[in-house]
Parts: sequence; C-alpha cells; structure tokens
Amino acid sequence: MTVREIEESLIQGIASILSRDASSIAPDIPFHKLGIDSLAFVEILVFIEKTFKLQLIESGLDKKDFGTVHSLASFIHKKH
Amino acid sequence: MIPSSKKRHYLSGADWIINALDYILKKETCSGNMSQVVLVLDNGPDAFLLQQGLQEFAMEFPVLHGSVSRDFINLAPYWKIPGECRDGIHLNVSDMDNVSSVDDVIPALEENVNRLFQGENEHLAFHLVRMGNGKSFLSMTFDHRLLDGRGAELFLDLFRAYLSGEKKSGIAEGFHFNAPARLSNWSDKFLAGRNVNRKIAALSGSAPAALPLPASGDKGFRFKLVSFGPGDTEVIYDTAYKKAGYLMEMPYLLSCVIRAVHALFRARGLQPGSYLIPVSVDMRQGGDVKQELFFNHVSYLFFQVDAKDADDLTAMIADIKAQMYDQVRAGLPGDIQEACLLMRIAPLPLLKRVFSIPFDGKIASFCFSHVGKSSYISSEFMGTEISNIFHMPRVPVPPGLGFFFNNFKGRLNLVISCLDGLLSGGEAVMLEDMIREQLGECGK
Repeated sequence: MTVREIEESLIQGIASILSRDASSIAPDIPFHKLGIDSLAFVEILVFIEKTFKLQLIESGLDKKDFGTVHSLASFIHKKH
Repeated sequence: MIPSSKKRHYLSGADWIINALDYILKKETCSGNMSQVVLVLDNGPDAFLLQQGLQEFAMEFPVLHGSVSRDFINLAPYWKIPGECRDGIHLNVSDMDNVSSVDDVIPALEENVNRLFQGENEHLAFHLVRMGNGKSFLSMTFDHRLLDGRGAELFLDLFRAYLSGEKKSGIAEGFHFNAPARLSNWSDKFLAGRNVNRKIAALSGSAPAALPLPASGDKGFRFKLVSFGPGDTEVIYDTAYKKAGYLMEMPYLLSCVIRAVHALFRARGLQPGSYLIPVSVDMRQGGDVKQELFFNHVSYLFFQVDAKDADDLTAMIADIKAQMYDQVRAGLPGDIQEACLLMRIAPLPLLKRVFSIPFDGKIASFCFSHVGKSSYISSEFMGTEISNIFHMPRVPVPPGLGFFFNNFKGRLNLVISCLDGLLSGGEAVMLEDMIREQLGECGK
C-alpha cells in the first residue's frame, strides 16, 4: 500500500470512530485538534491493528510519528 | 412541546445501573446519585432574568419532571414523562460578600449537591453564588438518572443559547423521548453478558483495596478543587505525552492518582493487595446531539493495578495502556452496555445485593474520569465571560472516593470527591499535595 492509500484508509476509520464526515479530517491536522482523547486514540490503534496487522500500543507513540494522519500513515508504511 | 405519544422513555441498561447507584447512595448517604456542574463567571448575571428565563426554558421540557416507573406488560423500566410542566426549576441566590476565593465558596456548593431533591419529580436545581469581588458561581445540580456529566453541559449550553435568543422558539423541537424497550436480540445480550462476567471473574481474584467507610449512614460529600493554569496544564500534558505517549494523558493522570492513593494507604499503615478503578467513558455516537442529551450514555473500563507496582510510574503507565487497549479491542464498553439491559428486570434492592457479591462488597478502590474537551461550547453565559467549568459528582458508596479531571479553556481541573469522614482533613491535603507532586509540582 502507498502512503496515500494508508492515509485514505485511516481517514475513513477515524471518521467512523469520531462519527464525523471524512471530508472534515485533513491529513495534516494534529489529532488533539480533532478532539481526539485517549480513548478515541486507542480506538484508532485498534483499528490500525485490525486493518494493517500492526500493534502499536507498545511503541513509544511519539508525537512526531503519531501527531497527524499523514505522519501516522508514513509510520505505518515504514513498518508495513 | 416534545412529541411523545406514550409519554414514556424506556431506560437503557446504563440508566438502570445509574438508578441502582441512586438507590444505594440514598440508603448509604444523605442523598442520591447527583452531580453538579459549576460555571465560574467573571461577573454576576441578573438573577431576575435568570430565574425568568429558567422558568420559561424548563416549561419546554416536561421530561425534567419525570419519574421512574415499570411497564406492567414487558416489565421494562421507563421514564414516565408528564404531559405538561406544572412546577418550575428552583433557583437559589446567595450573596457571599466577604469571600473572594474559590475555596471559600466550595462549602456552599457542597451544600447544594448534598441536598436531597424534593419528591420523585424534581431532578434539577440552580444556584447562583455572588462574591464580593463581582465574580459569581452558577451551579446546576442534577440527578444522574436524568443527565450524565456531558449531557448536563450540553443542557446548560442549550439554556445559554435560549437565553441569548439564538433559539428562542422551538427549542424543544426534534427531541424524541420514545426509546424502545430493546427486548429483542437476546442472544447478543447474553453473549455480551458472558464476556462481562468473564472480565469481572478475572478482576475478582482478590478484593480491591478500599478505605473503610465511616459508620454513620447519612453523610454528605466533601470536595476539593485543584485547578491548574494554562501554562501548568501545558507542562502536564507535555509530560504526559513524553512519559505515556501522544494523547495518553488519561493513563498518565490515572497513574499519578494511583501513586498518591497508594501513599495514603501506606501512611495509614494499610497493606493493599491491588487497586481497582472503574473509569467512565462516553459512548455517544455523535450523530444527533438532541437524541443523546438526556439520560445516560456512559460505559466503563476497569483498571487493576497490583499495589507492589504502584511505585514504578513507567511500568504502571505501560500496564494501564495495555489494559485499556485490550478492553477496547475486546469491545468491553459496548458489551457492558448490552449486558446491562439484562439487569433491568432486577428490582433496585436486589441489584444493591448483586453489586456486593464480587470483590467482597468493595466494588472499587476509587472512581476516576478525564474529560478532555468541554461540551459547553460557548465561552460566555448571559453575556458574562466564563473563566472555568468544573464538576462536583457524588461518588457511589463504596468506594466513596473519586478523582475527576476536566479541561476548560486549556485549564486542567481536578475535583476530589470524598464521602465525609472517609479522609481526615490532613489526609485530603496530603492527597492534593501528592497529586501536585506527581504532576510535576505544577500550579502550587
């Protein structure tokens, strides 16, 4: 999968978790500005595990890699 | 008026649990399962206009004067909604000219939230406390059977919009109080029940550590507000992100509180085995706010921490994150909601006994929640700037102790809620100091 495809998949998943329209989730907006809290973020991590077969909860969850949809997609792409 | 032909709204499983906790609290303390949301205002709003607006607004919502009943045919509990509003909502105004700090107002706010509602149809009361320096506190005491914490903020925001004329007409249009009895798909409910039972069995290997309850059965709750300024809040969140990971403030804050509680147990000479903490989570789908404003839309995550691990913050954070992940992946909050539907058949006195079966009747060590974003959207009320919002919930007994974080305008608040007599004055101060220390000595 390309970074772009991962991004699109993430946006669909996050929109579903937040019950929001996918078009309202820009890839470069920090997650905390989308109103995502700890629980929603863990739901996103579960979505990533189910979709990309990657368990990330035990990784450092560094803001640099997990801060936006775009950085997260790049991180998943590297790990995939 | 609200379109409801049957004038009844069937209660969810979560609502019935809240009703059971209300029953228990009324038996064990001076009042029921109530909470209070407090707006700290830079000025005092006009009390006459507030009272007038409140009466007009409340008339639109007969649901505010409902009561719990049970369907004689399908046996499901429901909220019986009167056809019209005959009673208004009480507004109590008090002037405290000689006080200027929040700490001085807390006793008056405590009195409000510990006062039993009159009769089965009163579920809401407002209080305005005006201080000598011009600031004021507007508190809304609410019955948890009618509103959960987020619903209370949404209701206040709707009231604000009504007062400001934004939605003066048709304010109640679109609210539907006709939730079905949900008496189908039994296999789903039983499967969810099996999953929840397994989780409870896994957690109940040893009774959780809990402070002994005071003897008298009619005590109220005492509260402590620990408020951090925007700068300190930013430092706390940055530290949380460094120690626990991005957006992992909830596991970080919970770990800090566990360490403080652990220090308290040790100071008392108690030998705790493990701590069990239920954390309430919001289950709203975010679709239509009007359909999710009233009643309860919460579920729970459960965290168990071995007391011998409570000194190692890094290990504890990792453990709590792993527990959170496992429970979300297993769908536990949804299963709890589904399984609780089965409990609606049980009368409240029976549920009180059922709750005391696992964990040797101790239920939990303390309650905890963290709300990252306020549902009160505006930054003003009746033209007055709001400088802070916090909640003062009465906590289920046992454990009679709770820690509630919320964030408003970049300011982190912690409210410690405690059954009167559970902690000594010195212990309450020690808890506050320990939590401040854990959070990096911010805000002192």
